[in-house]
Amino acid sequence: MYEKQRTRYKGFNVLDEKKEWDQHTEEIVLKRLGPFAAPKFLLPEEKEMLKAIASHLIYDDRKEILEFVINHTDESLTSPVGEGERKPDAPPLKDLIRWGLKALDNAARGQFDCSFVELNAGQQFEMVAALQKAKAYLVPDWQQIPQKELFKKLASLIVSAYYAHPTIWSEIGYAGPAYPRGYVRLEFGLTDPWEAERNEE
Amino acid sequence: MKNNNDYVTHNHDHYKDHRQRDLANRKYKDGADICIVGAGAAGGVLAYELSKAGFSVVVIEAGPFWNPQTDFASDELAAQSLAWQDTRLSTGKDALTFGHNNSGRGVGGGTVHFTGVFLRFHESDFKTKTIDGVGEDWPIEYQDLAPYYDKIERDIAVSGPKEFPWGSFHGPYPYPERNPISANSQVFRKGCDRLGIKSVVAPLAILSAPFDGRPPCISRGFCNQGCMPNSKFSTLIHHIPKAIGYGAEVLSDCMVTRIELDDQGKAKGVTFNHDGKEHFQKAKLVIVSAFAVETPRLLLNSTCSKFPQGLANSSGLVGRYLLTHTGHDIYAKFDDEVRLYKGTPVMALSQDFYETDRSRGFARGYTMNAHGGRPVSLAKNLAVSAGIWGSDLYEIMRDYNFYARITIVGEVLPDYNNFVTLSEEKDEYGIPRALASFSYGDNDNKMIAHGVAKANEILEAADGKAAFVIPDSAHLMGGCRMGRDPAASVVDEFCRSHDISNLYICDASAFVTSGGGNPTETVMAIAARTAQHIINSR
Ligand SMILES: Cc1cc2nc3c(=O)[nH]c(=O)nc-3n(C[C@H](O)[C@H](O)[C@H](O)COP(=O)(O)OP(=O)(O)OC[C@H]3O[C@@H](n4cnc5c(N)ncnc54)[C@H](O)[C@@H]3O)c2cc1C
Ligand code: SF4
Repeated sequence: MYEKQRTRYKGFNVLDEKKEWDQHTEEIVLKRLGPFAAPKFLLPEEKEMLKAIASHLIYDDRKEILEFVINHTDESLTSPVGEGERKPDAPPLKDLIRWGLKALDNAARGQFDCSFVELNAGQQFEMVAALQKAKAYLVPDWQQIPQKELFKKLASLIVSAYYAHPTIWSEIGYAGPAYPRGYVRLEFGLTDPWEAERNEE
Repeated sequence: MKNNNDYVTHNHDHYKDHRQRDLANRKYKDGADICIVGAGAAGGVLAYELSKAGFSVVVIEAGPFWNPQTDFASDELAAQSLAWQDTRLSTGKDALTFGHNNSGRGVGGGTVHFTGVFLRFHESDFKTKTIDGVGEDWPIEYQDLAPYYDKIERDIAVSGPKEFPWGSFHGPYPYPERNPISANSQVFRKGCDRLGIKSVVAPLAILSAPFDGRPPCISRGFCNQGCMPNSKFSTLIHHIPKAIGYGAEVLSDCMVTRIELDDQGKAKGVTFNHDGKEHFQKAKLVIVSAFAVETPRLLLNSTCSKFPQGLANSSGLVGRYLLTHTGHDIYAKFDDEVRLYKGTPVMALSQDFYETDRSRGFARGYTMNAHGGRPVSLAKNLAVSAGIWGSDLYEIMRDYNFYARITIVGEVLPDYNNFVTLSEEKDEYGIPRALASFSYGDNDNKMIAHGVAKANEILEAADGKAAFVIPDSAHLMGGCRMGRDPAASVVDEFCRSHDISNLYICDASAFVTSGGGNPTETVMAIAARTAQHIINSR
């Protein structure tokens, strides 16, 4: 399912340069490699469901990366800081995610007669796609849960975390933290020596 | 904090090397001349000018006093903490996104993580009604602000071109333009050249050479994450430390919850919350500089028997005419790498489409910024705003390095039905959460369509292939508009509230129209003019 060519920059590892980063940034980035504490908010069954949803949203099922994505989501859900903005008809983030996952699971049971995590990949994908269009299988739970909002908040948490993982930076050829070094060769076609070099084919 | 040798020391207290936490012993406990709520773009300038003029000034700021070296990081996810993240309820046809996208928090406010594009408004921006029959006229003209624009640019050593082709100010800027510019900005300028569109290296509140003990920019590209080398101006590293040097006191991590009035109906100070405890700051004059959402929210929350609809609100317009900029991001794919992560995000721009041209089918116009960006915000915006996820998202992001981007900063016309008000839901301080509603009007949508098409033409002329567009908005303004008529505005031309003579409202919320360019230089010029007015009326 995830067999596509993942990188145009084979062998580039942004972490090889970590000695050039400021200490504060280095600490932050290295924490993303784990190990991770057990989730504080997410229940085990919620965690499994989120992993399945995440793998569809980010098109990746590598375990260590999903672990970080889940960890970031859990931290966001336990943080006392606000959620930026919310639609007036949507419940607060924690409730939206908790009740939303429950609703999705109930919809899976209604539509396919088994839990969301037991569905095959195609069925799960179909359900995530339906959620984005607010067309998930009808169960009473959706009365409290605006489906599009659920999709957006999940996508925001999961996608942000995924593209903050140093492995993904390496794969897309992003040079990551750049202080105190900065860039000298900015112009078209020029790269500083530590930047990723394209070597596909 | 001991032995802090950073350029910006934690000197918001007045006892060297010691972070003052004891609010019972604060400097102006018995009253200050002036209390400023919010230490952002406007609050910083006001604190500096007024303390320099000899007033005793207290600045009360909801967020922390950041230390760039230990609080900022070269990382998008971590930098979310610089934003005002408190939940706001957002609705309307084009509901606004709040948070890192538009709202700062902490000393420096939005300037801590702004991009540094530093533009003046044009003459026409102040009289759209007279000239184009849309929007509303300001009570001031370009000439009223011109000396303050000059001053601010000199004060912070703005870098920019020798010759700026649009508006009334044609340069030169105090510091030379940035050189070299990023590949993304080169691509933009190449496309513009081929189509006969004028473009320039962007005027930036970012140093092109050393100034005031600060080094020039190292082009690391993390301006929206807070500048660690201190090359980018912010009121955190410029105006506030200088204001403290002139005797101002800055109380950080202190959320103002109410403005209090005396029996005569004049402002007597503010109530604020620090670590769960309530305190009072007495002052002869109160200036609210808490930005376009929090300023109306604070005024509306400060009801009293004399003003049951909130302060400064006899017109009923507090929170009304909320403005943003259309901020659509247009991407094209190139055969070679552009690498959007390198360099100051915006290093080139064009204002060729700024003024009204009726043949386009809409009034007013926009600035086009060549605009770099980083993976987290791109991927998140693709997923959340453009609805692209799964393998489609993965494929775009795998080729992240091959995309170039142009961002439109387009004028949104003022509309009574775009507003901030109080919701039914309360936050941890017991203040009702803000409820914001926003929808684009017909003119705005036509402008967006025009800007998107133009941006694609430019990118294609530079040999790119049009790829995708991400709807976005940027910059908040309005909510306490200035004007001559007390029935149709909240403050006068000096940002003094019509209703309460010693209550000023001075920040982006005083904007009448949005203009078609990044607004902060105008926010700061207005603040400098307000400060001068207060000094003159002493
Ligand atoms: C990512 C980003 C990029 C931007 N790029 C540009 C750019 O390139 N060019 C440009 O011109 N503009 C840019 N801006 C916009 C710019 O940041 C704002 O225009 C400017 O900061 C507004 O100034 P202000 O003084 O009105 O408010 P702010 O600078 O936001 O300051 C308000 C302050 O008040 C504090 N506050 C709020 N409520 C309270 C309360 N109740 N008690 C105490 N304190 C309170 C806040 O914490 C904040 O520090 C950008 C903004 C963002 C977020
Ligand atoms: S690009 Fe320049 S101004 Fe922006 S964060 Fe980096 S050093 Fe600071």
